[in-house]
Amino acid sequence: MSFGSAYLTLPEFQYLKPKTLQEALQLLDEHKDEAKILAGGIGLLAFMKERLVDPRWVVDIKAIDELHTLRDEGAKGLTIGATSTMNDLLAYEPLREKYKALRDCISLLSDPVLRNRSTLLGDVCEALPYVDGPTPLLLFDAEIEAASVKGRRRIPMSEFIKGVAETALEPNEIAVATHLKSPPEHSKSLFMKHTSSSEFSVVNLAALCANPTKPESRTVRFAYGAIAPTPARVHELEELFKRKTPVSQLIDEAVDVIRKSTEPMTDVLARAEYRSHMLEVMTIKALRRLLGS
Amino acid sequence: MKMTHSISIKINGVDRKLEIKDNELLLDVIRDRAGVKSVKAGCWRGECGLCTVLLDGKPVKSCFVLAIEADGREVTTAEGLAPEGQLSPIQKHFVEKGALQCGFCTPSFVLTAHYLLSVNPNPTESEIRDYLSGHICRCGTYKQMIEAILECAKEQNQAKQAATQKTRR
Repeated sequence: MSFGSAYLTLPEFQYLKPKTLQEALQLLDEHKDEAKILAGGIGLLAFMKERLVDPRWVVDIKAIDELHTLRDEGAKGLTIGATSTMNDLLAYEPLREKYKALRDCISLLSDPVLRNRSTLLGDVCEALPYVDGPTPLLLFDAEIEAASVKGRRRIPMSEFIKGVAETALEPNEIAVATHLKSPPEHSKSLFMKHTSSSEFSVVNLAALCANPTKPESRTVRFAYGAIAPTPARVHELEELFKRKTPVSQLIDEAVDVIRKSTEPMTDVLARAEYRSHMLEVMTIKALRRLLGS
Repeated sequence: MKMTHSISIKINGVDRKLEIKDNELLLDVIRDRAGVKSVKAGCWRGECGLCTVLLDGKPVKSCFVLAIEADGREVTTAEGLAPEGQLSPIQKHFVEKGALQCGFCTPSFVLTAHYLLSVNPNPTESEIRDYLSGHICRCGTYKQMIEAILECAKEQNQAKQAATQKTRR
C-alpha cells in the first residue's frame, strides 16, 4: 500500500448501472472477475485508489429496487438487502432490542457521514479480518443469499468467509441479502470491540443470552472476530452454560474454553498475545453483563 | 469503450451539465469542473470529512462518491445554505462563537451540523460529538463548534416555540 501521493485517483473503468437484478446478473456472468459490484463503495473505491483492485467494469447495484429491502418478519427473522445503508439499519426499529448486537456493531462502525453510504453486505463481502459485521451475523445464525444467472442459494455466515478477502461467492454471484434468524424470546445481546490506534478492530465479540437465571432453559451464544483470518462461533462455550454450576464458575471455565479453541494471529495491527489477552478480558466482561453476575 | 458521459447535477440550485469520465470522483468534479471551492480535498480516504457535501440533502463524503452517481441528483455545499451575501443560522452561530481558526474544515462542519439540526433539532452535546466524529479540525476548534451548534439549536427552538404560541393566540 503506497501513501506517497497526496492526490488519489481511480484507475480507468467503465461504469454500469443496471435497473434490474436480472440485468446485473447477466453483466456479472459476462464479465466475471473483471467486474466489481458497487454499493456503498467505501471498500471498493478505497482499494481502487490504492490500485489493489483494478476492475474493467464497475456495476452499480443501487438502482435495483429489490435490493433495497429491510424486512422484519417476526419469528421468521429479518432480511437485509444488499443496498440498505448502515444508517437505514440504525433507524430501523426492530434492530433496537431484538437484534441489539448487530445495532451496537453498526453504531460503532466508521462515522455517521460514511454510514449514509456504507452497507452491511459490503462490509461482510470485504471479508478482511478486521471487519466487524460478520461477528453479530454469526450470532443470529445469518445466511447470505447469493444470486447468479443460474438461480439463488443461501450460504450460512459460518461458511461464507473462507480466508483473508476471500468469500464463498462465485465470480458470477452477487450477495443480494442477508437473512437473520429470530433470536430466542427475551434474549439480550451485545457487541464489543477493541481497536488499534488506526481504528481497525483487533478483537471483536458478540454474545447473546436468554433466561440467564434458569440453567435448564438458559441459552448462551458467543462469536468472535478480528483475532484470526475468519470469525467464528464458539459452540463449546455455548454448551458449557447448559450446566447447573454457578455462573461465576462457568465464566471462569468459558475463558479456558476460549483460550483452547482460538488461535489468535500476529499482524500489522496487533500481536497474538495481545489479542488473546484482550479477548479473555472482553469475554469475562460480556458474559458478566449478560448473565448478571 | 465509451469513457465519457454527459451528466447533469443540480449544484446549489443551479443545473450544471458536465462532461465527465467514469472514474472521476464527485469531489474532483465539484471543485475542478464546477468550481465550487468550499468543498475541500484533504485525504481522499474518507477520513477527514473535508469533502462532505449534501447529496439529495444527506451528508456524504464526496471522495467516496463517483461523479456519475450524482447524475440527475442535487448537491448542496456551504455556498448553497443561504442566498448570496447572507448567512444560514448555523453559519451565523459559527461566526458568533469564533468556531474556526484557519477555516479550511469549516464548510464541511457547517454542512454536517446543518443536516444534524434538520433531523435532530435538539441534540445533546454527546450526540453532536458523535455526529461530527467523521470530521477532523486540525486547529482544534471543536469546543467552539459544539457551542455554536447548541446555541443555534436553542435559538431555533425558541423561535419555533414563539411561533406556536403566536398561532395559539
